[in-house]
Amino acid sequence: MKGLTALLERIGRSVGGIVGALYQAGRDAVETVLRNVLPFMVFISLVIGIINASGIGDFIAETLSPLASSAIGLIILTVIVALPVLSPLLGPGAVIAQIIGTLLGSEIARGNIPPQYALPALFAINPQVGCDFIPVGLALGEAEPETVEVGVPAVLFSRMITGPVATILAYFASFGLYPDN
Amino acid sequence: MDALARLAESFIGLFQEGADFFVALLTGIVPLLLVLLTFVNALIRFIGPERIDRFAVFAARPGIAFLPLRYLVLPVLAVFFLTNPMAYTMGRFLPERYKPAFYDSAVSFVHPPLGIFPHVNPGELFVYAGIAAGLTKIDLPLGDLAIRYLLVGLVVILIRGIVTEAITAIMMGRRTNDGDSEDSVAGARA
Repeated sequence: MKGLTALLERIGRSVGGIVGALYQAGRDAVETVLRNVLPFMVFISLVIGIINASGIGDFIAETLSPLASSAIGLIILTVIVALPVLSPLLGPGAVIAQIIGTLLGSEIARGNIPPQYALPALFAINPQVGCDFIPVGLALGEAEPETVEVGVPAVLFSRMITGPVATILAYFASFGLYPDN
Repeated sequence: MDALARLAESFIGLFQEGADFFVALLTGIVPLLLVLLTFVNALIRFIGPERIDRFAVFAARPGIAFLPLRYLVLPVLAVFFLTNPMAYTMGRFLPERYKPAFYDSAVSFVHPPLGIFPHVNPGELFVYAGIAAGLTKIDLPLGDLAIRYLLVGLVVILIRGIVTEAITAIMMGRRTNDGDSEDSVAGARA
């Protein structure tokens, strides 16, 4: 009888532990969505709504679509965004990348950009990822101040090379994506 | 009066367009995101992120053979388990001369997994979701795009790690030759 009680207690405890962890995980998930995802969704809805309803969208579409619907155009876009002067300015919160991404998405939906260009476009709008955050990121890795001094320009210059390389790679990797379109 | 009414209507219309867009995002993205986030959060809780530390010490060794560990496996594990921005703390296990390259590699991986593992960077989901929303609107599947984004991302972070490591080495070497900052570079090499 004693052994049975001990067994039941152990089962109860471990099930309780697992359910507790899952419940906490759900709580964390809801908090992440409330704090980080929903506010950005509202913000981007406002921006996209105004852009589309006011007609600015057509202007942006006319300039962006030709760039985003050819390999050369995408590489040009990458090079511009990866410029060491621009990349740290375009980085924060990936806001620019997210807005341009959403605009490109609606152009794909309208049929102005072929759908398989989605893949290279994902890299073309984002060669500046983290360029605003290099000193903080290195500090999180407990880097010496001298390393930060070298590291910031090293990463920025590196992006001039690896940014276009990523777009070209993604362009070749996009063959066979959405073949019917 | 008529003109005023029309003005009011177009004013509200400006925001109605945004509201419609918001509802589409809300129903299309949030439910799946919540369930998926819960699953991955629980998984990370059961595995325990502190285990990554031991692997980082191993991956920090010098040598060309360790390049894929340093700039592929370690950043992937760091970003998956620690997410943005805590993933960059893994740099503390690496020697100074590899830190910029590791950061470059890790930070470049906070978007490519978003199609499958949005928990790594939910605050910047729209880098991927913005383009994906357009494809959904014309009824195209996203699985293939998500997988290709992830795979190309893996190749790109390895390339970024290698290129940035080389550029860092050249720049640190130049500083030694300049002479005036010898001790700082010696410190950086330690």
